[in-house]
Amino acid sequence: MTPTIVLDNGGHTIKAGIGGTDTPAQLIPNAIARSKSKSTTYFGHELLQCTDHASLSYRLPISKGLIVDWDAQKAIWDGLFSTDVLGIDTTQSSLLLTEPYHNLPNIQQVYDQFIFEEYQFASYYRCTPASLIPHLFPTTTTTTTPSPDCTLIVDSGFSFTHAVPLIHGRPHSRALTRLSIGGKLLTNHLKHLISFRQWNMMDQTHITNHIKESCCFVSSDFARDLHTARSARSPNPLTQEYALAEGRLRQPGDSTSSGSSQILVMNNERFSVPEIIFRPDDIGLNQVGLAGTIAHSISLLPEDLQGMFWANIALIGGNTKFPGFRERLLADLRPLAPVEHDVQVYEYPDPITAPYDAAMRFVSTPAYKDSVVTRQEYLESGSNATRRKWRVSAGEEKEKEKEKEKQGRSKSKTGTARKK
Amino acid sequence: MPPKRTREHHVRQTYVSTTTIDPRVVAERTRKHLDQLERSNYAETSIMSVTGDDNEPGKYGKSRARQIVSDKRNLKLLGSSPAATKKRSTMNVRSALLYPKNLATLIEESGIASLPASTPTYLTAEAPAPSYPPRLICSVCGYWGRYKCRKCALPYCDQNCESVHAETRCEKRVV
Repeated sequence: MTPTIVLDNGGHTIKAGIGGTDTPAQLIPNAIARSKSKSTTYFGHELLQCTDHASLSYRLPISKGLIVDWDAQKAIWDGLFSTDVLGIDTTQSSLLLTEPYHNLPNIQQVYDQFIFEEYQFASYYRCTPASLIPHLFPTTTTTTTPSPDCTLIVDSGFSFTHAVPLIHGRPHSRALTRLSIGGKLLTNHLKHLISFRQWNMMDQTHITNHIKESCCFVSSDFARDLHTARSARSPNPLTQEYALAEGRLRQPGDSTSSGSSQILVMNNERFSVPEIIFRPDDIGLNQVGLAGTIAHSISLLPEDLQGMFWANIALIGGNTKFPGFRERLLADLRPLAPVEHDVQVYEYPDPITAPYDAAMRFVSTPAYKDSVVTRQEYLESGSNATRRKWRVSAGEEKEKEKEKEKQGRSKSKTGTARKK
Repeated sequence: MPPKRTREHHVRQTYVSTTTIDPRVVAERTRKHLDQLERSNYAETSIMSVTGDDNEPGKYGKSRARQIVSDKRNLKLLGSSPAATKKRSTMNVRSALLYPKNLATLIEESGIASLPASTPTYLTAEAPAPSYPPRLICSVCGYWGRYKCRKCALPYCDQNCESVHAETRCEKRVV
């Protein structure tokens, strides 16, 4: 049996593993970084061994969610498939690869070329991360998981935040809505705030990201927290101190002497950064917040199903790990939802690897074999093979086919009538 | 001309009637700042300098094809694919590696802009503009910005922040 590789190709992290092995996802930075001080370049997984994260300059294959730098992407994938990480023979394997929402058709073609012409995978399946999530659901609906028939996945990642409605497990692309706020923007915003107010951190992307992950939270009452952060100057209950030299939060018991010269005080920065997801206008972005984005997406869905979507919202992506994210979203959504509808927001144990875990389940089912495009098919008809296969299975086309069938039947009926 | 006046009236940034700054300047400044927030590195060096050799600056001079990094690594890949062996990659793969295109070019080439508006694409999926007015947040300390700078329309909260603003970033940058 050919092994199946699962590759969730995120803008910040690649989540990869071999299907059927039941191993947790390998988290590999999707970046090439160059250290000026050491004049060394780290590719993808090598970055995990890097100990000095100061002043790294990054080269990312993915820009605004889409792969634009194939040279960088290939360098990182090469490392991933090599004996350093997965150690698989690509010609003897199948691949499940994720792509961004609304990927461009010309970029999709390059995906196919790389998978079949460069790596020569035996077969592959390409889909969006949210479309995998239904495979996580158990067959029977329980109170802890959203209904598999109508689910709205909120995927808040490194490049973007998307509201993706799934009908019978398939993305409804007409209602898919994008909010242009992602983890990259939040980290950069925090970098600007810190650099203006305290330390120049403009070159310290890695450290700023760590500060963001360890200090930031979503405020449930922005005005109140803003007032608290201002009124009692120091110490107020929201202030946290981050020791830049040690790269961690300072605990109350820490001695004041150790590295006291490099202390970053986090005050209203802790919650005003994730706040941007809910109020993008705070940085001048002319888009409605996350709750409004979800409401907009639901309003584009068939009216009789909308109530189901309000009650089945699920969160994936790294940004949803901010403490208080779910509570705030729920509070913001309630006034936007019609009174008669219930609003529910579900979380997964690990929102970052949820699509990966779902993919691991999916590749072990017989349905996976039916959805892949084989190398043979690609050699026969090129990218048309993937386009045809995955577009036809997109639900909407099926409805069209049904209509055609109906028309065909009625035609044959009239035909027989004439004969009589 | 009446139409011009009405248009200016609708631009939200103009709260203070005494502000002399053109709202278009503010919009342009905001756009630039948002672009800056999408950068991977603060000092946006040319892509090659991230991975290229520091000693050979003239190497990527005039030829359109640039040096690639993905074929210069000592990795052991199993199997007989072009990626694993020294076999020549196909034309498609080589052109993708050698001639990178930026996002704007890719979007243009994909032709999604000419599709009917009913077809969902990358361009149509954007979240709508808010129906509520933006909040004013002090560009210095992050508290509510009650006032706006008369020169550059950035909000600030009190005299203290106003003086910091005037000294450091007045007319320079947003938020």
